[in-house]
Amino acid sequence: MADAIATREALRIVGHAVPRHDARDKVAAATAYAADWALPGMLHAAVLRSPYPSARIVKLSYARAAAIEGVAVVLTAKDVPRNTLATDVPGQTSAVGPLRATLSVLAEDRVRHQGEPVALVAAETLEQAHAALEAIEVEYERTPGVFIPEAALAAGAPQVHAAGNLLAQWRIARGDVAAGFARAAVVVEGEYTTQLVDAAYLEPESGVAWIDGDGVITIRVSTQVIEHFRDVAEVLRVEQNRVRVIGTYLGGGFGGKEDVTVEIYLGLLALKTGRPVKMVWTRAESLLARAKRHPYRMRYRTGALATGEIVAQEIDLLADAGAYAYLSALVLLYSTVTAAGPYRVPAVRAEARVAYTNNPPTSAMRGFGAMQTVFGYESQMDRVARALGLDPVEVRRVNALRRGDTLPVGQVIETHVALPELAERAWAALGPPTLPRAPHVRVGRGLACNFQPYGRIVWLHDWSSAWIGFEMDGSLVVRCGVPDVGGGQASSLCQIAAEVLGVSLARVSIHIADSALTPLAGTTTASRQLYMSGNAVLKAARELAAQILAVAATLLRADADGLELTDDAVVARDGRSLALPEVLRECARVGVPRSHLAVYHAPAGEPVDLATGSGKVFPDYTFGAHAAEVEVDTETGRVRILRYAAAHDVGRAINPQSVEGQIQGGAVQGLGYGLMEEVVVEDGINLTTSFATYLIPTAADVPDVEAVVVESGEGLGPFNARGIGEPPIGPPAAAVANAIADAARVRVTRLPITAERVARALGLFDD
Amino acid sequence: MHPFEYAAPETLEDALALLHEHRDEAKVLAGGQSLVPLLNYRLARPRVVVDINGLPLDGVRADDGRLRLGALVRHHQLEESDTIARHCPVLREAARLIGNVRVRTLGTLGGSLAHADPAAELPAVMTALDARLTVASASGRRSIAARDFVTGPLTTALAPDEIVTEVEVSTSPARGFAVEEFARRAGDFGLVVVVALVRVDRGGRVADARLALGGVADRPVRAAAAEEALRGQEPTAAVLAGAAEIARDRLDPPSDAFASGPYRRLLAGVLGRRALARAVAGAIQSEGAEAR
Amino acid sequence: MIARMVLNGRAREVEVRASQTLLEVLRDTLGIFDVKEGCDEGVCGVCTVLLDGRPASSCLVLAAGVRGRAVVTLRGLERDGGLHPLQDAFVRHGAVQCGFCTPGMLLTALAFLEREPRPDREAIRAALEGNLCRCTGYTKIVDAISAYVREANGDG
Ligand SMILES: Cc1cc2nc3c(=O)[nH]c(=O)nc-3n(C[C@H](O)[C@H](O)[C@H](O)COP(=O)(O)OP(=O)(O)OC[C@H]3O[C@@H](n4cnc5c(N)ncnc54)[C@H](O)[C@@H]3O)c2cc1C
Ligand code: FES
Ligand code: FES
Repeated sequence: MADAIATREALRIVGHAVPRHDARDKVAAATAYAADWALPGMLHAAVLRSPYPSARIVKLSYARAAAIEGVAVVLTAKDVPRNTLATDVPGQTSAVGPLRATLSVLAEDRVRHQGEPVALVAAETLEQAHAALEAIEVEYERTPGVFIPEAALAAGAPQVHAAGNLLAQWRIARGDVAAGFARAAVVVEGEYTTQLVDAAYLEPESGVAWIDGDGVITIRVSTQVIEHFRDVAEVLRVEQNRVRVIGTYLGGGFGGKEDVTVEIYLGLLALKTGRPVKMVWTRAESLLARAKRHPYRMRYRTGALATGEIVAQEIDLLADAGAYAYLSALVLLYSTVTAAGPYRVPAVRAEARVAYTNNPPTSAMRGFGAMQTVFGYESQMDRVARALGLDPVEVRRVNALRRGDTLPVGQVIETHVALPELAERAWAALGPPTLPRAPHVRVGRGLACNFQPYGRIVWLHDWSSAWIGFEMDGSLVVRCGVPDVGGGQASSLCQIAAEVLGVSLARVSIHIADSALTPLAGTTTASRQLYMSGNAVLKAARELAAQILAVAATLLRADADGLELTDDAVVARDGRSLALPEVLRECARVGVPRSHLAVYHAPAGEPVDLATGSGKVFPDYTFGAHAAEVEVDTETGRVRILRYAAAHDVGRAINPQSVEGQIQGGAVQGLGYGLMEEVVVEDGINLTTSFATYLIPTAADVPDVEAVVVESGEGLGPFNARGIGEPPIGPPAAAVANAIADAARVRVTRLPITAERVARALGLFDD
Repeated sequence: MHPFEYAAPETLEDALALLHEHRDEAKVLAGGQSLVPLLNYRLARPRVVVDINGLPLDGVRADDGRLRLGALVRHHQLEESDTIARHCPVLREAARLIGNVRVRTLGTLGGSLAHADPAAELPAVMTALDARLTVASASGRRSIAARDFVTGPLTTALAPDEIVTEVEVSTSPARGFAVEEFARRAGDFGLVVVVALVRVDRGGRVADARLALGGVADRPVRAAAAEEALRGQEPTAAVLAGAAEIARDRLDPPSDAFASGPYRRLLAGVLGRRALARAVAGAIQSEGAEAR
Repeated sequence: MIARMVLNGRAREVEVRASQTLLEVLRDTLGIFDVKEGCDEGVCGVCTVLLDGRPASSCLVLAAGVRGRAVVTLRGLERDGGLHPLQDAFVRHGAVQCGFCTPGMLLTALAFLEREPRPDREAIRAALEGNLCRCTGYTKIVDAISAYVREANGDG
């Protein structure tokens, strides 16, 4: 696919760092986020949540609350037409079987985690709504809970759900592990613990709903998934075509706005009151109630030859699902598939389980199960290198996957793997070593590589659609149901359309994320939007171009193949040209449509049995390598990142500036994960429900991130792009842990790597 | 927020009368940087909020060896005022460590002392400085030593109808100072904060040393034994380290979800040593400057 | 009760409840959505306004307590309907992703640059420590501000 790179110069808009159309609005604060919306007569809504992690609801009465001035309605479980939200998890989890994840919209007789929704209120003012929440009388009878996955799986544990606490289990068995270990020159064992983490986007969950013409319940909401209109309809027991979700530009998503947030509550309240209703979660509520990233306990045993070549790996993963299934089974699948890392490992045995507990529920978050494992496999890789006295780049080169290799699950890697180049370039980008600035500090460097699937699991039969049309003046309209989470999703689509149809970017306008008016594009998750909707737009644009060029060909009496759309005109090889409006008028005259709807289908496949290693799970993967230089204060354990470089093969950068932004932002989220972020939960009670206690990095906590953008010209997206939304969050924690090991000769195996943990590893104090 | 009545008196007398009338049900509002978050989350529910920002309590006066700071002096004034920098530069160093720039725009000295967060910088500094607070109520005024003012976590010797009006410190010359802090994240409250003030004599020996620590107990503490151990000593690295150890070994800091007691103790020792070293270096420099 | 302020250069009197913050009044009463709500505890910075020229968390100011002071929100920066050069630098340098932090970042940066016109990258980072951004990782925000500083000082 070298020709993809060769044609780079020929591209006018794709591949260039064009400023995003949405950025101009955003710097002027002209973007109307979900909470920046008000309608006349609007009510304000709030949710009553369980204070206990495990309890029976003995009594619930709200007469007093309903009587408060300004209160329009109080709703409890019995007022919800269908109180169950269900998600099928296609495929099969070994041992547990097919899964239907269900959730009550409002708790019925039992609460299983702190923050579980119990009742809804809508009132004229927010103050009144809060007063009403306090006036709802709920009598709870506390029941024993279980808060540690190991304990949840032990005999006699309190059962979170009737079917048992084992939610899902996946297994991989490939090659002869025992023989592998027998051959090994070193065997390295480690146990790694990762923590509960919040998406912590700055825009809290928010939306406004109203009943529009023809009784359509319209919900304008900050969501990564406008297709939840169907869930709302299910719950309200109305036909799906009576619910419309308008997705706003998001103030961040990162997976936390993938499951439903406020939309069902808003739909219910709008339906019951007939009035517009607004709901905005407070930060405390967001940190309390939003599903989080799974904590993992990972055990690794890795055998390697003296050359560094890994010959066997045994992996045991245990994750905490919290009280409800959400997407846990799929998150665990991602972990299982990626558990051995982007390496050729001939013998792997992996066992992965996820258990219910009475902790906050966990679900999607950037990296989706494929990021936790990086901390495991890259810490192991570093230990192997140290044990054998090998250079960190070298040990990755020896083991890196190559095209044609088979992953432990049986999937053959079909595209180029740039891992050795990425590792080298990230490492080199650190530049000359920094000298310690004082006797009590040590400086060291670490490397970590990763791979992250982009696109959904092949047996989910993913598709996206987009509509493109010319107006008579030659300006272009794109319609696509993609939610823009801030990554420049919409703007990249404009670039692709403008590129193919020969118009300038300024002449493209895009309408996104409206379940009633834009062709559905699927979720903005799984690093899939550029890949899927980019391909849908590319397809629509190419097919539209063909339609239009055919008309131009007759006008010019030329062969359509020799015509090109460029600079708002159709140009023939001999230099003759027609302004676009002329061609479009002719289209109108002869009845050729000036618009086109295209559907892009991802390569599909059947569910695989992981254990027998039978085939393809994901369309493709994005590879990366990050390098960190850190300073460790050997008296306090404080770690400062001095330099950071992050390299990814993005196939083709549609907008290099957006790609760099994704890499830098993802890396810093990963550094937060590595160094400071943790939802602290004690016996099911969340102690970090404020931004003063749930810490995310500030500008003063992190260094510049040098984004090294590698374009192999191979990827399944438009113009051979690969997904880059999630991958950069994977390596940082491991890169930092490895750098600390280099600097101070201690290894921290529990995240986050706080100064206290480093100090303890250094033996600076006794507990 | 829970509804409340709002009063913005323009004289101290009016403010005190309001507090006298409403006592427990009233809350003084100064910079609002600690009170308003509590109001926003309905964790504080006063019936009356008495906004004292209209009172003339923002003066900065230096005379006869004393620096008098009004309770409404903002953190940014501590950072930027030349008078304060000249007479009590440790306040500038401490104020820079408080929260973020927006907190420093509005947060006040009096509010910080009255709020009495155990890890806050200013209560620790005032403890080190042996500051005195003037406190007023409808029935009169009294003066309280900073070290007696804080009586526990977020609790003080203030009665519900009292207002801190002024803080007074002595502006002893030629003193070295340092504030060392360890925060989990830039701009947050420190886990531990240490304030050191040192004066050396002509011969370079410690004439006077003060060491105060925050975040290690339910209130700021003075390390009296360490101070005693330093007096008259030549401040070598070993002597300073020894003093820091003495301070550390007398502490038994609490554990919470964010740091263990033993780790806080470790920090107290390391930061104590670093603060003393920096303060001594400053003291020697200013003593030298003065001698010339 | 009545809250008085000079909002983006115009004297305003607004009917408020005692328990309303400046943030609530700006957004819900006056429809000024360029201040955002992110935490209500002074940490995130998306509600930043300039109060008599200094950055303040509008979520931690009672509207009634503004007492006639000057309040500037992002739209107060507009110059003849065009973008302020720092806004333009944010666009050019890709300093904006979701944009939720952007108004607060811009105001904080400008107030800082008033006081310190030639900061280096480290000083810029320190000045922004109270404005969280979850998307960009800050590098491009610092790029944009540095570029603006160079241009404003005529250093190319
Ligand atoms: C994000 C953030 C970070 C922060 N970080 C730090 C930090 O690192 N270090 C630190 O020290 N502080 C920090 N603070 C707190 C800040 O310093 C506060 O300003 C200070 O603690 C309280 O001062 P205030 O003027 O804002 O008081 P207010 O919030 O107005 O009042 C606080 C309390 O003191 C009482 N009070 C106020 N003034 C008086 C008075 N004159 N007489 C009697 N009672 C009075 C009030 O009734 C109330 O109970 C932070 C705050 C925020 C929001
Ligand atoms: S909303 Fe005011 S600082 Fe976060
Ligand atoms: S751009 Fe999203 S928070 Fe900064």
